[in-house]
Amino acid sequence: MSSVAAVRTQVAARRTVRYRVQEWAAQGFTYLGLTAALLFFLAPFFWIVTTSLKGNEDFFAFPPVWIPAEPSLTHYTRLFTHASGGRYFMNSLVISSLSMLAALMVSLPTAYSMARWRFGGGLLSTTLLILRMLPAIALIIPIYLMYKWLGLTNSYLGLVALYTVVYIPFAVWLLVGFLREFPVEIEEAALIDGCSRLGALVRVIIPIIAPGMAVVALFAFIATWNEFLFAIVLTGIETKTMMVLVTSFTSGGVDTFYGEASASVVLGVLPAFAVAFFLQRYLVKGLALGGTKG
Amino acid sequence: MRAAAFALKRRQWEPVAFASPALVLITVVIVFPLAYSFYLSLLNFDLSVGPEREFVGLKNYSEALFRDQRFLGSLWNTAVIIVPALILELLLGLGIALLLNRPIRGRPILTALLAIPPMISPVMAAMSWRMMFGVKYGAINNLGRQLGIIDVYFDWFSSPFLSIVAVVLVEIWHNTPFMMLVLLAGLQSIPPELYEAAKADGAGPWQRFWFVTLPLLKFTMAVGVMIRMIDLTKIFGLIFILTFGGPGGATETLAFNTYLVGFKDFRMSYAAAMSYVIILGVLVLTLIFQRLSRSREARAV
Repeated sequence: MSSVAAVRTQVAARRTVRYRVQEWAAQGFTYLGLTAALLFFLAPFFWIVTTSLKGNEDFFAFPPVWIPAEPSLTHYTRLFTHASGGRYFMNSLVISSLSMLAALMVSLPTAYSMARWRFGGGLLSTTLLILRMLPAIALIIPIYLMYKWLGLTNSYLGLVALYTVVYIPFAVWLLVGFLREFPVEIEEAALIDGCSRLGALVRVIIPIIAPGMAVVALFAFIATWNEFLFAIVLTGIETKTMMVLVTSFTSGGVDTFYGEASASVVLGVLPAFAVAFFLQRYLVKGLALGGTKG
Repeated sequence: MRAAAFALKRRQWEPVAFASPALVLITVVIVFPLAYSFYLSLLNFDLSVGPEREFVGLKNYSEALFRDQRFLGSLWNTAVIIVPALILELLLGLGIALLLNRPIRGRPILTALLAIPPMISPVMAAMSWRMMFGVKYGAINNLGRQLGIIDVYFDWFSSPFLSIVAVVLVEIWHNTPFMMLVLLAGLQSIPPELYEAAKADGAGPWQRFWFVTLPLLKFTMAVGVMIRMIDLTKIFGLIFILTFGGPGGATETLAFNTYLVGFKDFRMSYAAAMSYVIILGVLVLTLIFQRLSRSREARAV
């Protein structure tokens, strides 16, 4: 009797051991796979940052120097003094900020109208989705001709206006979602207390949905920062953005200007890094609708 | 009570007034230019020749679709880039999402780190990789030489095939995390009871994956693939920086070719016609996407 029990516990023990080994193997494999993914997706950033900090000796050395022993900021200073990097960085910053604010201001009332009164119905929201997916290449041809005629090429106004309007469909789309979740009762209370519709929107709704608006604003900022086709066609020597600046490093063959090129890439991806963590919860929704594309 | 009812009564002009600023702007800056562009596509306006223009009807369209080898080639090139990129993004994205969905430590930080590439612009992604592919100072050649895998400085953009491989690789690097995020959200919405029930019925890990995970993830996968497909038909910045359409036009995509026709050759009417072909493609894909996401909502309810 006792021997049967002993065999049983032995078998059970062996089973638990096998199960545990399997679990460990699975967990080990999981972490291994995730480490490989992290390496693949982050290595380019690591390499670009270290390259931008290399001095010239490190740069030409073989075996290659992966982490510069004496990091230097020469490439950044050269980028700022010789390639007008500072000006173009400021251009990107100003154009993106203005478009972001303008898009938000124009989109909010529209989104409110669609959320509260179902304005436009399904037709309007389908139209907005189609406009959102519209290829930039289709718009740039007539816009270029019109801007040339109006004298708006190589101007901040032209680019900001275009970015603002192109971004409206996405901003409206996201804001409608936030506004639908907003309890009508709060708004009605404000209306009963004598607030106008606009007053209620500004004084009651905006403060409450501010986090949602910040999400839309950050996506808008990144999208305009990242936009390339409109920028390369419409900007001139004074109004170039960071995206256009980068193209100046591709003209001289594959191997030229690594220092300044990598420095400009670091500056060009900085905002994305800064907001990626804030936007994490909304990334799927935002990216799905082309939130980071202009 | 009466005052309240009055205040809450919807006034006819209000919805229109609230919506109109955005709608007016969209009409002026998007809808009107598009209509103008369509009109333009029916002319033979060529800025490099002069301001003269004549009405030629659908000639530009028939030329693009039936005679222009370069345009048809760009159509083919776009497909050659899209198909492998989509398949690999889906498989890799699914793999990483499955790993992230296991009981692991530090999931939020891992997800946030992996999600960075799709936040940066295609231009910056392409520029980073262009430098990594660099012949003498690129990370890939240098690492290869250091590890003894290659013994010459290799030019990755010398052959059409390798250039396409490079474009697909950069695209995968750039957007697989997006697919991963979409699929992870899909995985997390599958109720755990289903797995417990399958386990109780004696289903192993593979069976659980095939008969529980995959069927429930099908719609999420379709939505993710559609979004990427719509985006990839417009691929431009990545090509512009990484290969500029080369070598010999092997990586010239629809949007890039249209850009060259419009802003290198200045054949405005013809470029407008080409852009309308792209609009049509994107429109069809967008409507399919919309129907798909609606049917998914209907199923979820």
